[in-house]
Amino acid sequence: MSEVTTETETSPKPDSPRRRFWKRMFRNPLALFSLVWFAILVVSWVWPELLATHDPFKQDVTLQRLFEGPSGDHWLGTDGLGRDHYSRVIFGAGFAFRSIIIAMSIAVGIGVPVGLFSGWRGGRIDRAIMWVNDVLFSLPIILLAMAVIIILTPSLTNAMIGVGIAMATRFVRLTRGVTLAEKEELYVDAARITGISVPRTLARYIAPNLLSSLIVQAAIISGAVILIGATLSFLGIGASLDDPDWGVMLNRARPDFRREGVWQIVPSGGALVLTVLAFNLLGDSIRDAIGRDASSNALTISKRVDIEPTDRPHRDGALLSVRTIDVEFPTPQGDPVQILNGVSFAVMPGETLGIVGESGSGKSMTMLSALGLTPAPGRLTRGSVQFDGRDVTSISEREWQKIRGKDIGFIFQEPIAVLNPALKVGRQLMEPLLLHTDMNKSQARERAIELLAEVKVPDPGRRIDQYPHEFSGGMAQRVGIAMSLACNPKLLIADEPTTALDVTVQGQILDLLMEIQETHDTSIIVITHDLGVIAEVADRVIVMYGGQGVEGGSVEDIFLRPRHPYTRALLETMPQNHESGDDRLKVIGGVVPAPTDWPVGCRFAPRCAAATEICHTDLPSLEVIGAGVTVRCHHWEDLQSSLVDSWDEVER
Amino acid sequence: MSEPLLSVEGLAVHFASRGRLFGPSAPPVKAVNDVSFTIEEGRTFGLVGESGSGKSTVARAILQLVDVHAGTIRLEGEDVTKVERKDELEFRKRVQAVLQDPFSSLNQVHQTRTIVGDGITRHYGTKGAERDEMVRKLLESVGLTADYLDRYPYEMSGGQRQRVSIARALGVGPKLIIADEATSALDVSIQSQVINVLQDIQRDDGVAFLFIAHDLEVVSHLSHDVGVMYLGYLVEQGSSTAVYESPAHPYTEMLISSIPVPNPIEQATRRELRKTFINAEPPSPANLPSGCPFENRCPVAMDICREEMPAPTPAHGGGSVRCHLHTSGPELGGESVVEFIKTSASGAIGV
Repeated sequence: MSEVTTETETSPKPDSPRRRFWKRMFRNPLALFSLVWFAILVVSWVWPELLATHDPFKQDVTLQRLFEGPSGDHWLGTDGLGRDHYSRVIFGAGFAFRSIIIAMSIAVGIGVPVGLFSGWRGGRIDRAIMWVNDVLFSLPIILLAMAVIIILTPSLTNAMIGVGIAMATRFVRLTRGVTLAEKEELYVDAARITGISVPRTLARYIAPNLLSSLIVQAAIISGAVILIGATLSFLGIGASLDDPDWGVMLNRARPDFRREGVWQIVPSGGALVLTVLAFNLLGDSIRDAIGRDASSNALTISKRVDIEPTDRPHRDGALLSVRTIDVEFPTPQGDPVQILNGVSFAVMPGETLGIVGESGSGKSMTMLSALGLTPAPGRLTRGSVQFDGRDVTSISEREWQKIRGKDIGFIFQEPIAVLNPALKVGRQLMEPLLLHTDMNKSQARERAIELLAEVKVPDPGRRIDQYPHEFSGGMAQRVGIAMSLACNPKLLIADEPTTALDVTVQGQILDLLMEIQETHDTSIIVITHDLGVIAEVADRVIVMYGGQGVEGGSVEDIFLRPRHPYTRALLETMPQNHESGDDRLKVIGGVVPAPTDWPVGCRFAPRCAAATEICHTDLPSLEVIGAGVTVRCHHWEDLQSSLVDSWDEVER
Repeated sequence: MSEPLLSVEGLAVHFASRGRLFGPSAPPVKAVNDVSFTIEEGRTFGLVGESGSGKSTVARAILQLVDVHAGTIRLEGEDVTKVERKDELEFRKRVQAVLQDPFSSLNQVHQTRTIVGDGITRHYGTKGAERDEMVRKLLESVGLTADYLDRYPYEMSGGQRQRVSIARALGVGPKLIIADEATSALDVSIQSQVINVLQDIQRDDGVAFLFIAHDLEVVSHLSHDVGVMYLGYLVEQGSSTAVYESPAHPYTEMLISSIPVPNPIEQATRRELRKTFINAEPPSPANLPSGCPFENRCPVAMDICREEMPAPTPAHGGGSVRCHLHTSGPELGGESVVEFIKTSASGAIGV
């Protein structure tokens, strides 16, 4: 075990999901309400004497003690037998919990194993089980409960057995659904390959993934169980008529309700409503708290205000020139984190710029921010952007839309995801034409067929009337390119345009892009992690690492005379550049750091073989070392000679 | 002659199409057809192909995750085409896998300790501190520190998770590890780390690999022998250098010339070669032509290619190839197809 690279740096552990869950729960007022309410109920159930002020069974038939309103002695008044409402409500909590425990243990105890079994087995057995389940599911719950009471004897316990059986059908459905989905996950295959037995796979691998949805469902169903229990007691077939059960209390209040006023139903009814509500709120807030970190405003664009200007001049004659942009995102801890720092680039008319970097380098964010699309809550805080000779740094979204709609075309990684599956390809191609030009429908159709022919979709006249699913990945990407070309854009942005495609198709798509550039003199920006793609299509290249451009230059500069140690290391790690004779690939140790853990000095320093003391303390600035050639490294000059030597061979 | 560790003979896997409500049922999808290869102990066989080529289905067939339609799979001479339930544990002990997606192949609810340790407990009954110590050693051998013992998958990067997957496979003590696109989802700088870990393991433990990927560069770097799949057929196989440096099948040549190299000068030459291939869609695996499935994209296809599926014939360097060019037409006799394509297709480009 000599040279295995070891993950030495231990990045701080993020909040465990459990902690994050409780944090979110305590921040949600509705969740807090339900938690407090349950705390009270649990105390009432476990130790009712602590809260109750009177014996709930003690009658006081003194006339003035009947149907009393709230008073100092009886906080919630008394009922028709002079019993204390408040104490009876407190003792009622025990009945409610007993109902829930009986019904839920039957529902979960039967429902979950049956669902797991059914989902895992699939096929005929699954269909048979689900058929029976659906029949039971469609019966009214109260009817099932009554059937059990009729067979056994009327009591709350027996009623709850019936309710439990009825509710089991809900858990069968839920569990089976989750099992069917989880069964397809690779980790289940992995468990099988490891040799883990089926019951253990179900219990230890699949069931824990079920837990969160199970808890949510159980909370909501518990609310329903209480309501059904109360209904049965109210009808006189649940708890016995003397018990301080909330349903019974409602029942006893019923005949007196007209005579003695509304108050009689308030204590028990109120407890019932609040408890059911609390269960539902609890279910909802648990669901929200365990939800993924999908921020709801991910698609909104941040406002462009208070942008600090930059003194770096724009490139003359550039179609798009971006100067020293910074982008910040707020964090829950308070201090915003800068995810782009001083990124600059420019694209000349008819030129292809490649932006290359690993995941997390900020290459896509750079493009979005340059085009006024910084996703909120991120914010462009510094820099300047010029498009077609015009300063567009802080123009309004409406103005940007005009520019983007007409002059900029976008090509995406997943063409199929961009196309609407329900609409014919032709309609989707015609839409931008109808929107941004003054063509009529038949002209637009004509042009759409032309576009398909231009991107070499065979038989465009027929394929224009097909739906996206009838296109293979490569053909769909051609349609995507046709859409981006619809309004004759000056600039094409291709974000990982071939990453989702097979390698033989990738070549064809890259050829197409280069042809389009030649015939239309379009500028293209290609964003990718694949150095090979960059070598193929780009004229000039920006290499990004840790939210910064670390090196920029012509494609020959980058691949034949790389100056930054990161670029050099990246090229050396590729099997293509591997020197035969040596068995092992060169590696860059460690991992790409997250924006919150960026080192103080050079961001590549912890992984850099040439790093010295200064690299760990001072962030190098981006030096312009030639026409359009930049590098961000303290030692580029010292390193250069050795680099040129080693790369001469490749050039030959 | 000693038995190879794994030998696959005439393997075919067909998936029945879903029955339609009306009309005749659709023909089955022929995912894998007549695939044969062997892996010697402690060696790496690389299987390369594009999506839909059936390379992962071959892995799943060996791993008993799909049913085999025809052919046999032998492990150390013993028939394991369909392993009986009572023998499954014994089989799993010898064949392990590292799967593609480092995100879904680890269960989110378990810590590394359990993910790696479960297999050890299952196969060897080791538990508690003793097991933790074994897991710690395994983590060390894949380049992770003991800190990672109590990490959950979501607390690790893609490369770290893939190392955990490798440790999990290794823990069972297998003779063969099937790595199905094990490095494809990783960043370039991380990919090389994981590839080196795989090579170290082979050197130290003598485990054999079936390494499956779409990237011929990675496969040929890591493998002693390589097989190239196209639409369910193994169209060429041989030593890694023979296949990569002088491919005998036009599809292999197409694959090689399609990989962009990180060198603009070399890439320009590759681009020219790439342009000789015909921009056509491959046929559907549910409806394979009677002839060679590559015929409609092949720049040097002949009449016979449309009519007959070529049988495997010997190729240079001890490999084999399924292409009519070697037995009829120019009768290349198993030699490289590169020069032939260059000379005969250069006329065709102008057409």
